[in-house]
Amino acid sequence: MTEEKTEQTTKDGDWKPIILGILCNWCSYAGADLAGSSRLKYPPNVRIVRVPCSGRVNPLYVLKAFQKGFDGVMVLGCHPGDCHYAKGNYFARRRIMLLGELLKSVGIEPERFHFEWVSASEGVRFAELVNEMTETLEKLGPFAGVDNSAEEKSKAEIR
Amino acid sequence: MSEELEQKIREEAKKLLESGEVRLVVGWGKGSAPFKTTPVFIDKPEDVDKLVWNPACTNNLAVYLPQLVKEGTIGIVAKPCDTRAVVTLLQEKQIERENIKVIGVACSGIIDESALKRAGIDLAEVREIKIDGENLLVTTNSGTQTVPMTQAEKEACRICEHRTPVFADVTIGEAPTAVEPEAVENMGTPEERRAFWAKQFERCIRCYACRQVCPQCYCAVCFIDRNDVRWTSKKPTPAENWMVHMGRALHLAGRCIECGECERACPMDIPLMKLNREVAEHVEKLFEFEAGMDPEAAPVFGRFEPDDPDPNEH
Repeated sequence: MTEEKTEQTTKDGDWKPIILGILCNWCSYAGADLAGSSRLKYPPNVRIVRVPCSGRVNPLYVLKAFQKGFDGVMVLGCHPGDCHYAKGNYFARRRIMLLGELLKSVGIEPERFHFEWVSASEGVRFAELVNEMTETLEKLGPFAGVDNSAEEKSKAEIR
Repeated sequence: MSEELEQKIREEAKKLLESGEVRLVVGWGKGSAPFKTTPVFIDKPEDVDKLVWNPACTNNLAVYLPQLVKEGTIGIVAKPCDTRAVVTLLQEKQIERENIKVIGVACSGIIDESALKRAGIDLAEVREIKIDGENLLVTTNSGTQTVPMTQAEKEACRICEHRTPVFADVTIGEAPTAVEPEAVENMGTPEERRAFWAKQFERCIRCYACRQVCPQCYCAVCFIDRNDVRWTSKKPTPAENWMVHMGRALHLAGRCIECGECERACPMDIPLMKLNREVAEHVEKLFEFEAGMDPEAAPVFGRFEPDDPDPNEH
């Protein structure tokens, strides 16, 4: 499986970014599901992790992803007011907004981190987001790694 | 000036111990050199003369409170930044108001050994240090040297905006002139920032002195030490070190009271406060919250407002 994926990203010799998508179960994951069942086209560069709520997203998840060499991370949750657990996304909003600023402070380009609201009916939006992010990251190039060494070893791990 | 304050601190500590209001007073005592002090724990009124006050009282003694209050009321001698640490501990319910007595001391800056070295002082020769207005008088074997406080103090003190205790049962001393707020240094483009921090964190030897000395790092099990979820390995590689320090910066968001002790304790001179200060500024901009000011306020990430900054408007 891992090998197959490595092949996928480097088959035609072109570099393709790898994005980690952390998606809330009730809205954004359902949105991604809708994108799939509606046969919408979006690049296969996103690896999705389903979480029960955006409030479940420990900002350390995102830091760990960058440490391991992901080229971009997206955190998607329900729109404010739509949370399945009433207020999980409000707590998430405070934390993740701060995380975004922290990432900028240590020199991770803002384009590499996306925090957005995607509802269960927004399959089109999900596909768009992945398309846009992939495009921007292709222009931006591979993430050099947090230790500036672009360590290929840890990159192979996530592929 | 500092002798006068020292005397007052001793008197207050004596009162607290004699009346039995506290079982212990935590303060600073004479250190192994004139530019050093050490934390002292006084439990008898006759021992209060061991307490000292001088520009070397660097330790943030609030670090001891969560443990000590478990066995009764504690008196603590606190600089303004230390009182902010006390406030944060109160906000986070790590200590109860009735279990502490705070002797707040106005502060005109704490010296930094590395800064003194940079100012050309041979620390082995130092016999006495003393504050004189805006200067530090350093008496060495070969005479007295005058160093402006701005060159002798900790970086955190140089830019400190809170020079009077924000929270105290008694306040001793008067605040020196207020300092103009200084803008957070612009660290440049993303590449420059990443390169800068990669270079800094690469040096970390993972001694965790920054964590041990921090009054806000009271977690029973730190994320660094956890084995069930391995956030970071014990290997001091640059990438693992990055994870450690980013996790710490994140966990201190809205809580760091900028005493600069982590930076002081760091044996590798990693400028940790640069990051902490930037994060503090983000928190202030996003949520209009300054750490350690109001004991009644709830922790900034333990609550929310419906009209908080939103990714869609950012």
